[in-house]
Amino acid sequence: MSVTARLGGAALFVAAVAAAAALVHFALVLLVPVVAAHDAFAHLAELGPPGATTPLPPAGPDERRFPWDDPALAAAFCRFDLSAGPVRIKAPVGRAGFASLSFHTRRGAVFYALTDRAATHGRMEAVIATPAQLRVLVAHDDEDDPSQDLRVVSPTVQGFVIMRAFSELPSLYAAAADEVKAMACATEPSPS
Amino acid sequence: MTLVAKALAAGAIGLALGVAASGWILADPPFGAVTIGPWRVAAKAGSLEADPYTRAALARSGEIPLALGEGLKLVARVDSAGRPLDRRCLYLVGTHTPAARYWTLSLTDADGYPVENAAGRYGFRSSEILRDGDGGFSIYVSALAHSGNWLPVGHVQTFALALRLYDTPLAASAGGIEKSSVPTINREGCA
Repeated sequence: MSVTARLGGAALFVAAVAAAAALVHFALVLLVPVVAAHDAFAHLAELGPPGATTPLPPAGPDERRFPWDDPALAAAFCRFDLSAGPVRIKAPVGRAGFASLSFHTRRGAVFYALTDRAATHGRMEAVIATPAQLRVLVAHDDEDDPSQDLRVVSPTVQGFVIMRAFSELPSLYAAAADEVKAMACATEPSPS
Repeated sequence: MTLVAKALAAGAIGLALGVAASGWILADPPFGAVTIGPWRVAAKAGSLEADPYTRAALARSGEIPLALGEGLKLVARVDSAGRPLDRRCLYLVGTHTPAARYWTLSLTDADGYPVENAAGRYGFRSSEILRDGDGGFSIYVSALAHSGNWLPVGHVQTFALALRLYDTPLAASAGGIEKSSVPTINREGCA
């Protein structure tokens, strides 16, 4: 075999390796979010049932499920499932300190968020609905007395809401933890 | 070697390379993050518009991301001179942060979890920190105890610093945060 033919064969081999590696890499990047067994939703599912407010364990050296959680923040979550109807979130706020709600898809991406600055009557409140449920809600609206609800469309039927509350001092952490536990999440009665 | 054997070998090597490269790249996704001094911020990491690499990294880590409307998370793994943070050294972090209703500065291991330490101190809040006469702050990061605002490194080899800005007007333009507005991380000396 000539030198050129050998070199050509080697180059072809390297190219084949590179092509296979690239293919595997792109497939993995796209597949990981779909098959990840330990994403945020999976960990939350171990902690609490859908439709109930469950406190998140405080960030600390022994809590190794949710990286980059801030030890100064108390948090609670509610997993929602819109297949039985829209879900209403009510979260009373009133401490000194920051509080917020973030709405996440099944894959963890945020599709909406609000802070205590947007609170009215001492609470943050929103109704999560699928696009189809939103159309039904709008169709049932009274034109003379429009709904004051903040309606948030979820791109996925399942997902979760996180409430976070900032404690200004370590001694105020317990009060922040109490505040997030008071979040309510319940499926709305279907409009009649 | 026959052609089939060669193709199989190429496929096997490619598979191993692809898996290894993916693990390495997803540990620190390359897109969507900006560098401001020693800090890295991926403002859109948790959003629906995140790129596939950032999405995969999020799913793999299990992190519950902050929404843009809630705040920003900046992570430093190097000092202001670009040297990796080293547990044998003393760092002075200060003295100002970009505008935010509250901020926290905490220390984590390489994966983003707080590190056990005898003082039980994982971070400082803007609302609890001791300040100098100008309203600035100084946080000392070291393994050995230090006077003032001391953030202990604990028993990890590699660590990171996380600065969180809650309710900040900068969220929409994280790329526009000025380098002069973020805290510096100055290495004061090493043991």
